[in-house]
Amino acid sequence: MLLRRRGLDKRLSHNHNDSIPTNTMTAAIDVQQLTKRYDAVTALSDISFSVQPGEIMGFLGPNGAGKTTTLRILTGMIAPTQGSVRINGLDVTQHPLEVRRQIGYLPENVALYPELRVKEYLDYRAQIKGVPGIQCKKRVQAVMEQCALTDMQRRLIGRLSKGYRQRVALADCLLAQPKVLILDEPTVGLDPHQIRQTREFILALGRTTTILLSTHILPEVEMICQKVIIIDRGRIRAVDTPDRLRRSLSAFGVVRVQLRADMNQAMPALQQLAGIAKVSRQGEADGFFMLDIEPKEGQDVREPVFLLASQRGWTLRELSAQRASLEDVFVHLTTHEQTTEGAVQGAPA
Amino acid sequence: MNALAALTFRELKSLWYSPIGATVSALFLLIQGVVFWLLILILNDPRVDPSWNMARLFFGGFFYWISLFITVPTLTMRTFSEEKRTGSIELLLTAPVTETQVVLSKFLGAWIAYALLWTLTIVYFVVLRAYTPFDWGPVAAGYIGTLLMGAMLIAIGVLTSSLTRNQVISGLFAFVILLLIFCVGILSMFVRDPEAVAIIRYLSLPDHVNQFAKGLLDTRPAVLYASVTAISLLLTGRVIANPRWRS
Repeated sequence: MLLRRRGLDKRLSHNHNDSIPTNTMTAAIDVQQLTKRYDAVTALSDISFSVQPGEIMGFLGPNGAGKTTTLRILTGMIAPTQGSVRINGLDVTQHPLEVRRQIGYLPENVALYPELRVKEYLDYRAQIKGVPGIQCKKRVQAVMEQCALTDMQRRLIGRLSKGYRQRVALADCLLAQPKVLILDEPTVGLDPHQIRQTREFILALGRTTTILLSTHILPEVEMICQKVIIIDRGRIRAVDTPDRLRRSLSAFGVVRVQLRADMNQAMPALQQLAGIAKVSRQGEADGFFMLDIEPKEGQDVREPVFLLASQRGWTLRELSAQRASLEDVFVHLTTHEQTTEGAVQGAPA
Repeated sequence: MNALAALTFRELKSLWYSPIGATVSALFLLIQGVVFWLLILILNDPRVDPSWNMARLFFGGFFYWISLFITVPTLTMRTFSEEKRTGSIELLLTAPVTETQVVLSKFLGAWIAYALLWTLTIVYFVVLRAYTPFDWGPVAAGYIGTLLMGAMLIAIGVLTSSLTRNQVISGLFAFVILLLIFCVGILSMFVRDPEAVAIIRYLSLPDHVNQFAKGLLDTRPAVLYASVTAISLLLTGRVIANPRWRS
């Protein structure tokens, strides 16, 4: 899709500034000027964002953009080079245990102990998470029911399918009733049925919990998340609702036109029209020519095109602004002039 | 149950369920079975004085060291390497437990398993005691010494396990270090300076075990074991706290 890059970027970054609240005292997750360097490689540079209590925030980015690095810093697995992370107002590096007690973390690579049985594993996790002894049994039963694992409690984790293992890990996340859930690609490797279940599950959880959901499956974000962060090569490219991101792109989007006319006259006439940057022919069907018209920055060209067509007596069959999908936004924001190889090397996943 | 106990119990459980645990136990008991058989052969020899020190036959012999060299690296090699390789370390380190608790639980898990294996051999002495009189003192000293020395060797094994994500390399590494420590005593043959000899003697494990088997429980080797254990575990803690190790 052809887009005016600079104008859109300006608009997106404007939205980005709007969405960062000035008062971050109550934020469930508050990240300020976070930078992470590995020797010469900068995995994250100057990232700031916050997630309000009860929000489901999507965390989007291509592979190697720095998603997992960010999540690992949030969970205290690795330390940031610079910047601060606060979970419910507590600094991750200063109060690592308190913070970890408030977080349920589902890592990208769910590695459990294959030699343990489901219930055994959850009992163990409840104990190390400091769930009080009397509640342990109740909590384990509760999460197993929540994640539909009750029938599997005697199974060895090593014998479970990927989907069930994921559920065990999710159940583990919920054991200590955390206020913040950090989920790193929770639906990767699941079948469509399981993906749907997991999404519904996350949506249900989101009513009571703050969730930061990392993924690169875009429909998932559109379905689940109230807000999205798009990150690329260690930098935040946009923070907004999926809907507004899409609209911001559509405003500059391509207009699809189908008309019956003499193309030798029509093409130059259209090109001379004010506000049109480029017209390209896409094909022909039943005597109608399909054109994609790329408008100049911030212009809606549908009306001038219609007026021109009626004035010249062309038959107009379609005149529609192409609605951008989140995918378009994502691709637009994360496509680089250089090769994408640099980005892959740029940050360890 | 507090977190450390839960972590340690998990270590023991995983070891018990894993093929490594079963294999090590089986091999250990096989070797000790041969030792028991040899003990009976020796004791049946009419030329042997039955009051001969029982503990010296058992502790410090060839099979004693073989058992040690097999059990310690195999019990410790998986502790960190396996978690690092599979990635389960991430869920462990993002749980609300301290690094100290994690390191200690790995150490305690392996040490308790080691102690349990040796405890099984007490049966031999109980059986032998019914047929031949001997003093329990040196036997007890031998066991206590074996446990304390084992703590040091296991701490070293846990450290080597934290250094690589490959179990085999970690096990080999621990094995070679054990072997080198074991051989320190040989140096005393090449050194003339009496003070240097005294230091080498102090570090020589076979010398220690011979002392234990005589019923001499000295605090000096105990201090050595305790300090090496502490240093190894502290170093392990430093390794797993390292950002490079975690990423």
